[in-house]
Amino acid sequence: MSSILAVDDSASMRQMVSFTLKNAGYDVVDAIDGVDALHKAGERKFDLVLTDQNMPNLDGIGLTRKLRESAAFKATPILILTTESSDQMKQAGRAAGATGWLVKPFDPAKLIEVIGKVLR
Amino acid sequence: MEGEMPHAGCLSPAPTPISPLALIELQDHLLAAGHDLSRLATLLDDACRQLLLHFDAATVQVRALSTDDLAGRERACAEIGKAVTGLQFQDLSSQLVTHACDRLRYCADRLATAAFGSDDDAEDVVAAAPSRPNPVTQSEMDAGSVELF
Repeated sequence: MSSILAVDDSASMRQMVSFTLKNAGYDVVDAIDGVDALHKAGERKFDLVLTDQNMPNLDGIGLTRKLRESAAFKATPILILTTESSDQMKQAGRAAGATGWLVKPFDPAKLIEVIGKVLR
Repeated sequence: MEGEMPHAGCLSPAPTPISPLALIELQDHLLAAGHDLSRLATLLDDACRQLLLHFDAATVQVRALSTDDLAGRERACAEIGKAVTGLQFQDLSSQLVTHACDRLRYCADRLATAAFGSDDDAEDVVAAAPSRPNPVTQSEMDAGSVELF
């Protein structure tokens, strides 16, 4: 079973993402912001990171940059799931090392399809 | 230029200064509106979480149904998935409310400064204005775009 670190400062979004991913058979660990995610990523390896962008303490792009500095997460797919849809933000995400950019609201079936694709 | 019409603003009467009491009343209204919006966000969050718990339970029930109608089960799960997309209105609205509250707070603090004057200590408690536009640009609940780099 692939493991996913799901990061969002909104409790309801964490609940929705977990609901979707667990129903698709993934092992899901939640984090409430980038700092919490870094802490959890330091404890174990994940097959994929799905993170929000706008969060207190450390945002999704900052988290991506930090994770890419770690050998354990150099090649791990990192998807940013956010309300932000500007090209400028997408390019910043890409430059930080993100694998993809998904704009909210997400369609559960599409999210599962994309995750399956990047995990292959 | 000779004969040019004066700027419309030049014809306007001088603005009437607002009394400190009126400024305080305006500040109270802004703060009350901010509190109401925050309560709205809390209510939406609670409602959304309750609904998700029910959707979660409904999904378990659907999966436990007879395997005679696999297509029907899949259709039911797909409908629940669409409801999850719709429920994300709460996340979008919460961000909009937070941004609006930050602006209201900033306006209320500016009014307080105008009413009472400012000193070094007061500057510390004036909320900063949001430094960027609201990140939520969506105006409908269709699923967003996906871009793989």
